[in-house]
Amino acid sequence: MSTASIVVAVTAFVLGALLALLTIPVLVWLERRIASLVQDRLGPNRTNVFGFRLGGVVQSFADVVKLLLKEEYYPSHIKKGRWLFMLAPVITFAAALLAFMAIPFADTLHIDGEALRVQALPIDYGVLWYLAIGAIGVLGVIFGGWMSHNKYALLGATRAGSMVISYELPLGLSIVSFIVTYNTMDFNAMVQWQSGTFFGFLPAWGIFVQPLAAIILIISLFAETNRNPFTVAEGESEIVAGYMTEHTAMKFAMYFMGEYVAMNTASAVIITVIFGGYQVPWVSTEMMLAHFSGFALSLMIAIPVIVFLLIRWMRKNNTVRPTVSTDSGRNFETKVLSIALIGMTLLIEAILLYLAFFANSPLGESISVMLFQIVVFVVKLMAFNIFFILIRWTVPRFRYDQVQHLGWYYLLPLALLNLFVTALVVVGVNS
Amino acid sequence: MNQNNITVIPRHGDNFKDKLFLPAIYDGVKVTFKHLFENVTDINAVDTLEYPEEQPTDITSRYRGLHRLTHRPDDSIACVACFMCATACPSDCIFIEATERDDDKDEKMPKSFFIDTLECVFCGYCVEACPCDAIRMDTGIFSLTGNSREDFVMDKEQLLSHKGAFGEEVSCARD
Repeated sequence: MSTASIVVAVTAFVLGALLALLTIPVLVWLERRIASLVQDRLGPNRTNVFGFRLGGVVQSFADVVKLLLKEEYYPSHIKKGRWLFMLAPVITFAAALLAFMAIPFADTLHIDGEALRVQALPIDYGVLWYLAIGAIGVLGVIFGGWMSHNKYALLGATRAGSMVISYELPLGLSIVSFIVTYNTMDFNAMVQWQSGTFFGFLPAWGIFVQPLAAIILIISLFAETNRNPFTVAEGESEIVAGYMTEHTAMKFAMYFMGEYVAMNTASAVIITVIFGGYQVPWVSTEMMLAHFSGFALSLMIAIPVIVFLLIRWMRKNNTVRPTVSTDSGRNFETKVLSIALIGMTLLIEAILLYLAFFANSPLGESISVMLFQIVVFVVKLMAFNIFFILIRWTVPRFRYDQVQHLGWYYLLPLALLNLFVTALVVVGVNS
Repeated sequence: MNQNNITVIPRHGDNFKDKLFLPAIYDGVKVTFKHLFENVTDINAVDTLEYPEEQPTDITSRYRGLHRLTHRPDDSIACVACFMCATACPSDCIFIEATERDDDKDEKMPKSFFIDTLECVFCGYCVEACPCDAIRMDTGIFSLTGNSREDFVMDKEQLLSHKGAFGEEVSCARD
């Protein structure tokens, strides 16, 4: 193994862990902020560190500290199997976290003839890994609900079990359609397949190539992450907190964070399989590398525009109404953040200028393309997470027998039909 | 029963479009996204009171705020310790001790006058019952804070020190 491969592997692993773990507080904050903005409220916007509130995202870190310092309480009626009671949230959390690791964040890096995957787990059977590990998550829910010896928890766990049998089959079958279409089980190869065009003008994204399978995949993944409209394993109005009724402090936080990691993972899978992953539409990695100076120039124009719009938005919205007596340091924060953003823009501009016109370094070029793709991936990931959150605050819940009805009577036959047609078309095209 | 009086409410959900769910979800997301987008692009248009920094401006003169004891035009207490308010009080939170009054204005005045605001239900019956316009709830004070239960028991001096928020300062029934 060369030094480069070790560096890339470690970087990709750190990146995967950070993307999965650091998005939790951001997602919790986004959920609360978007919920309130949708309902014409403000949401958490006050917590700050030395006047830096970053829109209120600091609140999530305060929440983590609070949950860590809570009393560790164990229900006394749990006699045997307390270890399983404690292990259950960890299973859910770890499964969601591990499933995320198979997602590619950028195209394969070619350094000195070595092909290095930018994936936390450099495996080429990512789809299988995701399906296998992702399905374990529900075991934590079932164990936790069963070991709680509580009727609400048990009902929540049985409902989670009923969910599994309703969505796993359509999920698997829709993914099989994608495997047949892309002719691969490697997430990265799937993304590369989607870099072309479809009918000459559409980007060849899964959503355009396989619209029915894409919709089934999105619906099944909403069910898998236990989010609205499929929150059946918990429900304040009928079964309290469901399977996590008896879990307190960090045990509860593990379930809670696991839910958000699962949502993040589902978003990552959706954008990788049907929204072109880290690719910008119509532009493949090879094109960017071949015309690097053009790519750098367009970035050098786009970044200042984006930063300008961001600063303008911040100057308008990081303020308070004139009727409010104090702005609590928002002006100062805007100034510091603007200076930091402008400084970073200048730095990036300088680096791009150097790489595009003065240096002839293929390594630097491929690394900057990789960084660009990671940024695109994160932007798409966050956009889809916001879509997840928006759906939660839009639609009411299904009853759990309605979910089974939906899964078995509609999604499963549709997925089978879609698979059949896909197979026919693929065989017809290839023969 | 006349058949014409029966209104049949149209049932939804039987046609293909409703069973598909997706058009309805699209419509819903359109609404929520519109709200989200408008509020993200102009956060100060969100009609929310940023409470401690921003105080409400819509408290009307009929709002039942914290109680006060009014004065006469010569700044002496208007209350004659008739116990009407304490009798009318449904939560028994007014405690009055009467004493003789020696300035020839009236015969009695309260020696002590306590209102336990933790017991008070802010019904305003005391204000209605008072024959001397001596107790009012027009201070406009809606938030009351303290560190102990005793902080919430208002005594005569505190009640006299509250100012009316809507112009009428002195008692209209005593001169």
